[in-house]
Amino acid sequence: MSIDHGIDHIVEKVRAGGRVDRDEALALYRRAPTAQLGQLADAIRARKHPEPVITYIIDRNVNYTNVCVARCAFCAFYRPVGSTEGYVLGFDELYRKIDETIAVGGVQLLLQGGHNPDLPLSWYEDLFHGIKSRYPAFKLHALSPPEVIHLSRLDQLPVPKVLRRLIAAGLDSVPGGGAEILVDRVRKLLHCYGKASADEWLDVMRHAHHLGLRTTGTMMYGTVETDEERIEHLLRLRALQDETGGFTAFITWSYQPDHTELAGSEATGVDYLRTLALARIVLDNFDNLQASWVTQGGKVGQLSLAYGANDMGSVMIEENVVRAAGASYCMDEVEIVRNIEDAGFQAKRRNMHYELLGDPIFREREVPRMLELATARADGDTSVPDELRHYPARSRQGKALRVVQ
Amino acid sequence: MTATAPDPAALSASHDIITIGMHADDVRRRLHGVCTTFVRVADVDAQPGAPIHVPPSAGEVRIAGAPDSRASAVSRVAEVRAATSGRPLSGFALSDLERLSVREQVTLRSLLEELCAAGLELVAEAPFDQLEDPRRAIEEVNIAGLALARLTIHQAPAVDTVAGFQRVYALQRDVAVLRSFAPLPRRFNPAVPSTGYEDVRRLALARLVVENIPSIQVDWALYGPKLAQVALTMGADDIDGVSAEDDVAQGRRRAPLEEIQRNIRAAALEPVERNGRYELITR
Ligand code: SF4
Repeated sequence: MSIDHGIDHIVEKVRAGGRVDRDEALALYRRAPTAQLGQLADAIRARKHPEPVITYIIDRNVNYTNVCVARCAFCAFYRPVGSTEGYVLGFDELYRKIDETIAVGGVQLLLQGGHNPDLPLSWYEDLFHGIKSRYPAFKLHALSPPEVIHLSRLDQLPVPKVLRRLIAAGLDSVPGGGAEILVDRVRKLLHCYGKASADEWLDVMRHAHHLGLRTTGTMMYGTVETDEERIEHLLRLRALQDETGGFTAFITWSYQPDHTELAGSEATGVDYLRTLALARIVLDNFDNLQASWVTQGGKVGQLSLAYGANDMGSVMIEENVVRAAGASYCMDEVEIVRNIEDAGFQAKRRNMHYELLGDPIFREREVPRMLELATARADGDTSVPDELRHYPARSRQGKALRVVQ
Repeated sequence: MTATAPDPAALSASHDIITIGMHADDVRRRLHGVCTTFVRVADVDAQPGAPIHVPPSAGEVRIAGAPDSRASAVSRVAEVRAATSGRPLSGFALSDLERLSVREQVTLRSLLEELCAAGLELVAEAPFDQLEDPRRAIEEVNIAGLALARLTIHQAPAVDTVAGFQRVYALQRDVAVLRSFAPLPRRFNPAVPSTGYEDVRRLALARLVVENIPSIQVDWALYGPKLAQVALTMGADDIDGVSAEDDVAQGRRRAPLEEIQRNIRAAALEPVERNGRYELITR
């Protein structure tokens, strides 16, 4: 490892627990050897989490619809309104997925989807009420900020009101999806400025935090942004966390280019480890950093534990978005625990608030192995949920379908 | 081993994967600086008559798979040699040839000499853990006029990686012809794949212990770009198994050459293409 002495004072500052500014973060990112970045990040992880414990959650990542009017250039998942490949999951399908999740020890649904103009706020309220009445202890980690903004536009209600109604219906926490890079130049190039500007994304999170919800922060890097813009993104999250303290965790992943309009190449594994380590250094007010094994694979996912991550994320029973863009890695609870223990840590289950729930569930009772991830829907299933006819559609195609129904 | 080298046995028990990798990287940089070689390989099947496609960018044509018989091995080498236009031709695992020689009741040397006469230039791999007598078999390769492309490990031993690598070090001390060692196993249980820590630790320990073999190699196709790239920062300096297919029209979104060079540069290293003879290629 060749040491760059021009960054010595920054390295010392980080070692002493100091906060890096924009220029210092950039100097580290550009000039520190990967191993040195990793060691700094690992020391912070050890300081924040002195017990040698790595956590994970058993939940199910369900995408309730792939119909989306946002049309982000980096997205391989969405289908336009009227597409024969578009779907909306029915309430009963979602309840069945929750049953399956509970059977393997799952505690939560991570529920996100496209911006479907034919699903009004009342659809979500009824769904959340339905889930909570059937499964009172089950948690709903649902609707990223752009989805909340979409509902606020669709139902012409201010964001805090949308959030209040969702909370009343059963929303427990908000996932940090749709942040991409919180710089409007980048968002415009990625065609995702319309779904939420950087300020709008942060405002939804601010409102959510003020309403008592905990949320996660995310970053999808590796599209068109510069190093400076990645750092700007981290600094904006850090500033909001200083203000509200509402983020439980940060998750970063690389853009997955296959089948997207933007195309291009995926950032490399070393890029990922450097970016993760930098995030651990810059986000000094975030307690938890997740490893994104879903995009990096199990091996680099496990190596993340040496570069600042203290959480292996979710035992994903289902995944649709990353798979649509070409990556498909699967690790069930047994695999996740094996990877954690092999790295020298104890594995503990947690909830969304990062409260420990216990030891691995498969050591307590028999749980079926999951060697591949489920999808939202079986191939060729084009059914339309019956209950949709109770909700007003906005799109021409949606209205026509309601008439047929 | 140098006097200042860290104790590999102690490192092998450590979970501090970054420190292990840094020690290995020091050795790698002493031997190779930032230079990272890679070879683009055109694989062809060992079965006589099977299709032979040699893209112009191939730096090595490799006959993959175990031969059915001595006659089929020889005839396949001749067939493929005729299609290689002078490119380095490698083929077969030395352990398969060792077994074949026993089955056909010929000496290993005479089998190797026949293959050499038919046009084979390199034995593609010598799986250290599968050879009856590694030293003798590798010496026979040499005496028969062939070279050995690389020493490999077929399957990871259950215990004591360091002791295994010390045996590899001793082998090279005896034979002195090994150019490259690929320490990650070629076969693994898909239900319980090796972990990232295991792979990186193995690579780094190989670099630290087997200091007398110039290159530590990782297979791009077998281990995937992400792990292989990280391996380059933790002791590996050579990448095998890069596809020679560069035709974007064949359904690939990104050409392998561009992909490999991008990955090497993103690890702050310098890509240098080589051929199967370890000659550097300047295009
Ligand atoms: S990323 Fe989300 S908002 Fe953007 S097109 Fe895909 S589904 Fe729609």
